[in-house]
Amino acid sequence: MNGRPEPADAELVLAIVAHDDRDAFTRLVRRHESMVRSVLRRLSRGDHGLADDLAQETFLLAWRNLRAFRFDARFSTWLYRIAFNAWLSDARKRREVLLDDEAQAPVPEEPGRAVSAAERIDLERALGCLSDGERAAIAACYYADLTHEEAAEAIGIPLGTVKTHILRAKAKLRAKLAEESR
Amino acid sequence: MNDIVHDPIERLLREDARRPIPDDGFALRVAVALPPARAARAWLKPALVLSSALVGSLLAWLFAPAGISLTQGFLDLARLQSQTPSALAAMGMALAMAVIAAVLVADES
Repeated sequence: MNGRPEPADAELVLAIVAHDDRDAFTRLVRRHESMVRSVLRRLSRGDHGLADDLAQETFLLAWRNLRAFRFDARFSTWLYRIAFNAWLSDARKRREVLLDDEAQAPVPEEPGRAVSAAERIDLERALGCLSDGERAAIAACYYADLTHEEAAEAIGIPLGTVKTHILRAKAKLRAKLAEESR
Repeated sequence: MNDIVHDPIERLLREDARRPIPDDGFALRVAVALPPARAARAWLKPALVLSSALVGSLLAWLFAPAGISLTQGFLDLARLQSQTPSALAAMGMALAMAVIAAVLVADES
């Protein structure tokens, strides 16, 4: 360790834009790949191969468009938007994607489950049961650590819909947990 | 954020989100897929600006009316005679050089 602090994202971005610095870009990739890949794994219903292809596409798009990054948001938020749009355009090639499908039957609450039971749940499989909008909201707010407002802007749905999606998704996961623990 | 999370689903999601995904060569694959590096041709623009300035100066010198001398022009300016043809040519030349310098400085910054 040489004690030098890690350069901030903004410093690395400037080094890339000014000097075509590929080492700086690789540092950015290493710093954010876990977030991007886990978000895409959740969005792709656990398809790790597809998620990694989309993650690679995300970073290549980021490289090409880095001059458009305006530093008015966190670099990770900007990256999340690219990843989400990459997934969305890929998913729309195969099927219809509904992100603001609020008109669903309410999921019954299953309160009072033990933590140990929650740990047994196959979260990846359970997340695969959620709707596109619910998975997008969960991926944004938990895996990309966005606020509800940032998630609404990035996904392109109203703030109230994001909150509904989160509540409904957690209720569905809770119901799934109850089902698994029986 | 409150670190004490009582909702098991909330806790499960947060723990899952915090779990890092091993690189397994991903960063290298991205680095390899990047487009080729830009050729280092930082000299190209200054060279183009300077050579076009030289060509312009040569043409101006070739087609300028007889009797105009830059040396004479600067001597005229030193004597505060700015309306002579030579003095005007000298001022034009100085202006052209200033424009070239401004272009190069703007490009550098």
